Amino acid sequence: MPDMVNPLELESDFIKKSEETESRNKFVLNKNDRELLERPRFTFRLHMLLVFLLFSFLSMAIIIGSVIGINRIQKKLHFVQTSERYLFQIEQARRWEKNYFLYNTNLEDAVQSADNAKTLLSQNLKKVITVLSTKETDTIIKHLDRYRDLLQELIVLEKNGIENTEKKEEIETSLRKHGAKMVEVASVLAYEEQESMNAMLDLIQRIPIYCLVVVLLLRVFAARFLTQRLVKPLNHLVKCTRRIAKGDFSPLVPMRKYRDEFTTVEVAINRMLEQLKLHETAMVESHKLRAVGTLTAGVAHELNNPLNNIMLTAHAMLEDHKDLSEDELLEMINDLINEADRSRSIVRNLLDFARESESVSEPLDLGALVSETIKLALNQVKVSGAKIESQIQPSLPRMRGDKQQLKQVFLNLILNAVDAVEKQGNIKISVKKADMPGFLSVQIKDNGCGIPAHILPNIFDPFFTTKGPGKGTGLGLSVSHGIITMHGGQISIETEVGKYTRFTVILPSRSVPANFNRT
Amino acid sequence: MKEKLEILLLDDETIVGNRLGPVLEKVGYDVEVFEDPKKALNRINEKEFDIVITDIMMEDVNGIQILEEVQKKSEKTKVIIITGYATVALAREAMEKGAFDMIAKPFRPNDLRSVVAKAADSLGYKK
Repeated sequence: MPDMVNPLELESDFIKKSEETESRNKFVLNKNDRELLERPRFTFRLHMLLVFLLFSFLSMAIIIGSVIGINRIQKKLHFVQTSERYLFQIEQARRWEKNYFLYNTNLEDAVQSADNAKTLLSQNLKKVITVLSTKETDTIIKHLDRYRDLLQELIVLEKNGIENTEKKEEIETSLRKHGAKMVEVASVLAYEEQESMNAMLDLIQRIPIYCLVVVLLLRVFAARFLTQRLVKPLNHLVKCTRRIAKGDFSPLVPMRKYRDEFTTVEVAINRMLEQLKLHETAMVESHKLRAVGTLTAGVAHELNNPLNNIMLTAHAMLEDHKDLSEDELLEMINDLINEADRSRSIVRNLLDFARESESVSEPLDLGALVSETIKLALNQVKVSGAKIESQIQPSLPRMRGDKQQLKQVFLNLILNAVDAVEKQGNIKISVKKADMPGFLSVQIKDNGCGIPAHILPNIFDPFFTTKGPGKGTGLGLSVSHGIITMHGGQISIETEVGKYTRFTVILPSRSVPANFNRT
Repeated sequence: MKEKLEILLLDDETIVGNRLGPVLEKVGYDVEVFEDPKKALNRINEKEFDIVITDIMMEDVNGIQILEEVQKKSEKTKVIIITGYATVALAREAMEKGAFDMIAKPFRPNDLRSVVAKAADSLGYKK
């Protein structure tokens, strides 16, 4: 069947080609791909082919079986006819024999019929032996031969014309005995063969029904199996896409012991996940830069204070250095140093946050991290005229995470709160153990405008913003959501229009308190 | 007319008061320095100053509120606003509400002296 080999070859060609393309594109097979691809191949196509072959084989078997069966019946029919002919010849011989004894005619015909019977018997001897036993066959032959011998004897007796009535009667008795025996055995032979043929016909009649049932069952089973093979991985993929949509970009892992057409899809999804991860990183970075931009304006303003102090002090020293006492001079120099320090810390905090760095997971003190973030946003808060209060539970367990990214999340939430409140607005931040054991919670609540219910489902979508063009990227909450999900946490929101908005971030903690020695 | 121009200087940055007090006293003004806006407001209610110099961004009370209070108390008092956050919107608001002038941080002592001198001028003082 050359047609059926082809698809297989095509398949392997396809895989070879795609593997070549992959290596040409310099895709390095990473661990996940290898796990997916190293499984033995059992493609859907091969599966279908096997099922197809099975059914072809089955139908062939049925056809061959029927041909053999019909052939056998034909042979049996033929043999039944032969046995009937044999029976007829014997009966004929007996009729001639009877005629001879009644009217003294037809003795030659009787011999002829017996000879015919003998010829028929010897022609089909093999078959007769298979139907009757060897012993019985011997009996037939013995009776037939004896019958013929007796007839010959009669002929001889007739030719000689000796009217030996005694002998003739003796032969007659013998003839009758053997003749009856012969007829009896021949009838049995014909009957047996007829019976066996009937049984076979019966069977052949029933076989298609059995086959139909078996094929039907097999087909149902095969269909179920194939559907399972299709539906299961599809469902799995649907589940995976849901997970990916929620921001979980961990790669797909092998579900079955073999690879097939779906493996190509899974590998492609893993590639997509890598790209998504890259994009996510880029998005996080670009959103961070935007936050840095916002903060820079605040920092520039905040820097004006120490700068002004330095300028005024330096000028005072310049104008009055001759009249100033040593104590006054010292005080001024200290002021200069302190103000320079203050400038440095203002800039350093921002630079710390803005610095581009690889994403690293390290043990963190969430309370300290939130405090630093508040400091970072303080200028913005001051400019807006809002008030910010923070309550940080002491000795919280440490947690693992990326410092910059988490700062970015809290900064984003604080800046959102600043945007939401009017002047004299209030922003309350709390860091404490979450109700769920093993988790820490950070709440950022403002008494601002709130979020209308109809846009609530969209707030974590990328590029969704209520701020005017050029004001917000619509990435803040989406990026924050991504970062928190990556840290194994959750971000949730409660809000009432015109009253308040409260964002709650929960993050998994480690059991060591934060103020224990830093590892 | 008083002999010495009376000035109230309010900034929550201690150093500003420490340095600017002597700077203005040296050129012959009578200066009262405050760090706490609430205390400054009390003082404004007690006494009529010729010139009030105030920072705009402070905790609790901001410069615009001080300006409004001063204007309620006495129309002729000149208010000079100091700001570290010199936004156009803020400047416009201050000027619309009747501030005499605005000076952005960081500035030199002489910058303030000349603004104060202008204010003194407009009040009829000649130096």
